[in-house]
Amino acid sequence: MVSSFCWSCLTRLPTASPRPMLPPTLTAQRVAAFHTSSPLLAMPPKKKAPGQQQGPKHRTATTFKMKKRKVTDRVRPPPVGERRALRKRIVLSNPNALEVADMQDISAENMVDSRLRGSILGLPVPMLDQLRAVQAFKPKQGWSIFRRPGTVTRRETVELGRLIDGISDKPEDKSKVVKRIVTGPRGIGKTVHLLQAMSMAFTKEWVVVTVPECQDLVLANTSYAPHSEKNPNVYVQNQATAALLSRTVTANQKVLSKLKVSREHPALKSPLKRDTTLEALANIGIQDPASAWPVFQALWTELTATSPAPGFEKDFASRPPMLVAVDGLAHWMKETKYRTAKYELIHAHDLVFVQHFLSLLKPGNQQSVLPNGGILLYATSASNSPSIYSLDVALERVAARQNRVYPSSPDYPMPTAFSHPDERVLAAFESSKSSVPTEGTLTLQTLAGITREEARGFMEYFARSGLLRQQVSEEWVNEKWTLAGGGVIGELEKLGRRLTVPVQV
Amino acid sequence: MVFILGVNFPERNLVKKSLESFFGIGNHTSSRLLARFHIHPACKVGELGNKQVLDITAALSDMKIENDLRRQVIDNIKRLKETGTYRGRRHALGLPVRGQNTRNQIKNAVKFNRIERRLG
Repeated sequence: MVSSFCWSCLTRLPTASPRPMLPPTLTAQRVAAFHTSSPLLAMPPKKKAPGQQQGPKHRTATTFKMKKRKVTDRVRPPPVGERRALRKRIVLSNPNALEVADMQDISAENMVDSRLRGSILGLPVPMLDQLRAVQAFKPKQGWSIFRRPGTVTRRETVELGRLIDGISDKPEDKSKVVKRIVTGPRGIGKTVHLLQAMSMAFTKEWVVVTVPECQDLVLANTSYAPHSEKNPNVYVQNQATAALLSRTVTANQKVLSKLKVSREHPALKSPLKRDTTLEALANIGIQDPASAWPVFQALWTELTATSPAPGFEKDFASRPPMLVAVDGLAHWMKETKYRTAKYELIHAHDLVFVQHFLSLLKPGNQQSVLPNGGILLYATSASNSPSIYSLDVALERVAARQNRVYPSSPDYPMPTAFSHPDERVLAAFESSKSSVPTEGTLTLQTLAGITREEARGFMEYFARSGLLRQQVSEEWVNEKWTLAGGGVIGELEKLGRRLTVPVQV
Repeated sequence: MVFILGVNFPERNLVKKSLESFFGIGNHTSSRLLARFHIHPACKVGELGNKQVLDITAALSDMKIENDLRRQVIDNIKRLKETGTYRGRRHALGLPVRGQNTRNQIKNAVKFNRIERRLG
């Protein structure tokens, strides 16, 4: 370390050689100050008042006193449900965004039109309540940045539209059942694909039954009870079933209020009147959650009925096709947070609710699972998903069977040795060919990124909504398409919603 | 307000937490009790059915909790003292019982280990 004083000065200490002291300079110091505002120019410090300068006053305590902490009034906690409502709030409109002039709404005509690929189809306003009721919108999706909600028409959407159109209207596709598991990486649009399916099903007046979040059923947040004395190892979730009924009734009120019961339901507590509508039937379960499960079963029997029981012919109307949409499937493939009476964890496949929806993936007994036709869309989630090895293997197997690699083949995917896969999970996805010709086998649909043309349509929609002040050129879109991992639509949205203002030269 | 074992609990309280308010019931026992009667862990007291409340009360009344348990602990200490064991002596002297150092940090021992110990 360098010494703070100079050695040469030390040798010339005044004691060594007395020298005449120079008088102090009278002029102001001419040294350049380090600071820009010289301390010399500063005001002289104020002298303290004479009272304060002395120490503690005579006869005052000098001990240290702790200051008492002030007792602050407790803030009243927010009312019950307010924070949750804020967290789950879904905003579908942004009044600051521009209205896109020639945006079409989804309708029976344009959902099969492949010329509309890459364009945005709006969701009609009356349908929004239905979509909200089935919880098709998720809080983290970017609906709140546009003037009104709309979805990109991509290749899979048009294909789905044709499927739904065929099952509703074409005689050769009547009562066809399509079973699909939708997978794909994060942000690829699986949930929005389900939403598009629902919107098309609503246009065609199908009955839509959804499970918007599989996790809700296994987190042990809703009540559960053994199903019956006969099979105590199977559990019902009455509150969750009542919620499902309420979703179904609110969304499909128009359809359900027209249909009447077609048979007796001895499992219900009180006998039904002959002219009970299906809406009234479902309302019994909503009002009394204890009977929700038998009511749901009765409703399901009614919706899948093809003919009336004797004596009920008068009011029978043919049942519409059904769309069953389930999101976040992986949560149903492991043990839940619920416990048995012996304090063991309950497997998700022991919940009747889950059992019912998973049994639809299997071929039906004698008749197809949806005799009036319909689509099963079960989506996995990539952002909220437990990693389950057995499910990965099971889905690989589904894909293999789709490519005509059968279990007898050596290429058929097998779990690795000592991995102890969950046999129940593997069995849930084993579905053989159905004996009913209209019932399709389970297939895997892996969504990939949108094409460059579709991406261009999507980015132009941002520009026309006033969110993107940029010239949308071929080159620019290609750049963004690549930045978004090859057209991952969730990533494209993030790029588009960053408000970029071109530099003014 | 719901009565469980003679104690009145507000309806908004969690069942699990209400059970744990009894002396002698902690996380281990309360979660097993809930599982035994098929009550989910997020259940509030107000959501319990009449039968479930009765079941819980019946199960609790069979268990050694609250004053019974306190009495048992006091009896155990008393036995140690009467047989003249080292542990009994330490209890009576207000010093740590289990071989802890006594240079400092024995506040709890001073607080609890009295000649006439009171619990709760």
